[in-house]
Amino acid sequence: MPQMGVSVAEGTITAWRKRPGDWVERDEVIVEISTDKVETEVPSPAAGRVAELLVEEGATVDVGTLLATIDTGSKPGQPHADESDPPPPSRVRTETNGNGTATKPAAPNGKAPPVSPVVRRIAEEHEVDLSAVSGTGRRGRVTKKDLLAFVEQAGDGRAKAERPLHTESPYKEEAVPRAPAPALDSGEGEGEGEQLSVMRRQIGEHMVRSLQTAAHCTTIVEADMTAIEAARGRLSYLPLVARATIAALREHPRLNATLEGDRLLVHDEVHLGIAVSLGEEGLIVPVVHNAHELSHEGLGARIKDLAMRARAKQLSPDEVRGATFTITNPGRYGALLATPIINQPQVAILDLEAVVKRPVVVSDGQGGDSIAIRPMTYFCMSWDHRALDGVGAAEFLGTVKRHVEGWSD
Amino acid sequence: MPEITYLEAISDGLREEMRHDSSVFCMGEDIGEFGGAFKVTDGFFEEFGANRVWDTPLAENAIVGAAVGAAVEGLRPVCEMQFADFIACGFDQLVNVAAKMYYRQGLAVPMVVRLPSGGGFSGGPFHSQNPEAWFLQSPGLKVVAPSTAQDAKGLLASAIRDPNPVLYLEHKNLYRRVKGDVAEGRYQTPMGELRLAREGTDLTVVSYGAMVHTALEATEDIDGASVEVLDLRTLCPLDRDGILESVRKTSKVVVLHEATRSCGVGAEVASLIAEEAFEDLDGPVVRVTAPDVPIPFSPPLERAVLPQVDDVKEACRELLAY
Repeated sequence: MPQMGVSVAEGTITAWRKRPGDWVERDEVIVEISTDKVETEVPSPAAGRVAELLVEEGATVDVGTLLATIDTGSKPGQPHADESDPPPPSRVRTETNGNGTATKPAAPNGKAPPVSPVVRRIAEEHEVDLSAVSGTGRRGRVTKKDLLAFVEQAGDGRAKAERPLHTESPYKEEAVPRAPAPALDSGEGEGEGEQLSVMRRQIGEHMVRSLQTAAHCTTIVEADMTAIEAARGRLSYLPLVARATIAALREHPRLNATLEGDRLLVHDEVHLGIAVSLGEEGLIVPVVHNAHELSHEGLGARIKDLAMRARAKQLSPDEVRGATFTITNPGRYGALLATPIINQPQVAILDLEAVVKRPVVVSDGQGGDSIAIRPMTYFCMSWDHRALDGVGAAEFLGTVKRHVEGWSD
Repeated sequence: MPEITYLEAISDGLREEMRHDSSVFCMGEDIGEFGGAFKVTDGFFEEFGANRVWDTPLAENAIVGAAVGAAVEGLRPVCEMQFADFIACGFDQLVNVAAKMYYRQGLAVPMVVRLPSGGGFSGGPFHSQNPEAWFLQSPGLKVVAPSTAQDAKGLLASAIRDPNPVLYLEHKNLYRRVKGDVAEGRYQTPMGELRLAREGTDLTVVSYGAMVHTALEATEDIDGASVEVLDLRTLCPLDRDGILESVRKTSKVVVLHEATRSCGVGAEVASLIAEEAFEDLDGPVVRVTAPDVPIPFSPPLERAVLPQVDDVKEACRELLAY
């Protein structure tokens, strides 16, 4: 298990891309792994033939654990172990021992290849134990021809009579690690359901843990986005609001903090987490480190880069670590309000919602009010009542609103 | 029985029907005095006159549209597209008007559209297409694609006698290459019945049109294997029972066509087999087709795109060894 970043201690094998016997080039992807935040592809450190996979899919192992061995002495032209020519007949042909029971023919890779539908059907009709039939098809597969020849040779009735008393099944059920399923209290569940991905399970664990840990409370302010709208040009709202949020965090450092146990750690630097949706697969929160040093253009570029690499699964684990405050931005999907869950161990998360034109009362500063159409939005912030109180949250949001409404480059 | 070419068989079939039934007439671009781009109607103008052999403007939608009207009124028009590719211009009249007439108004539309189709002669992207799959998506149309001279004549007669609009795909690469002993006089090859081009037990190649000949050549001798070759002849209605019967015998199927791959006849045949004969399969159903690209002008590129004898051989070998 490679060290994917300084802070990663373990990883889960999500999928092997190569099987024993496959040829792998140096830097070709050999395995997909998932650490507690990142799903990534691991390139092979060397060219060669995969000799053995030592960790099953779904297993979680420590960094440094040996995952597979690659035989670097072999050549690409040589046949794969499981694709070689059918072994000499002596190895495949059924051998009969003293009491007339057949022994299992050794499939080249020790595992019988799948049986085609017609072979399965004929075998059932004639009650033939397929492990007793030698296969001439690819990878030793029993073909329809093989089976028909076997049936004919054995004679229908005799094939039945000579069935071995007991033959070990060539099939081994593959061990699939499963999360314990909650008991269904009604019998109405239909279908098998689907196994949650590693990422979904981890998101679930994080969210439930956060709800169990923090005293969640959500405060909402409304803001006029006219100034931002005028200034954003081709950028989305996000980098400008992020910039305003960072400015507000500098004025209210208690929100740029992490709370672990009874210890509140207020950070000097702002490391801004930005939630990026990966579609149905899940959600990931890459971090703009030292975000306080960046202009809104700089933030925009960094966020775009992180989001693109997040979707391409190219983030390193350190790029999703160490956030001091998080922004989530589902507003472009049209939602108006939400109560986000805090990204532990941070103390608050700001949710940007849709910008919608609304009729609002505006004052001209000389006591005159009028109704205007303005692009408005809600800033919804969930915060941890253990770390601060409602006044602190409201003051902070007020500052964000002030920076947003009074935006000047 | 005289031996004549595929092209002569088409002419012969059309001529016989026109002689027999005065409601049969043909229309198309340059089919009159000139005798058609491929000379299918050579001599027709002289024999049947301008009233039954119409030269039309270069307007496929008008040709097909006029044919629909004539057919509704009781005539039996046979339209020639100069190249099958040009049917795209007559698409609306064909798929929206002709195909739906019976369903909407209960009216028969006994018309035929002849489509000189296929590649293999560096005709490039506008003169080499195999557009059959377009019409399989349009209920109400029948589609035939003969591969032999006998069927070219017999299926044309059936198409003309059928009360539905029929697309008649005649492969240009067979016109003068394929010959056969064709009976004189009128006869019909039934629609919806495939032809067993060669009987076999180990593997079935399902094909139609020019590729039937490629299939026969490719499977003449594959390490002594006994390969069955089916010539579908009619693509709609498909001879489902005929296909399934062969699959139940051989358990291995290669579907071969010159048309592009996705959503083609091969895809339809493969799904039919998967649905109806799953328990008889001893290997995956394999398609050998042109890839999803237009036909290139360049001869080596065209050869690379169109399925060749060696491609079919290799696919059959692979599947036989599976």
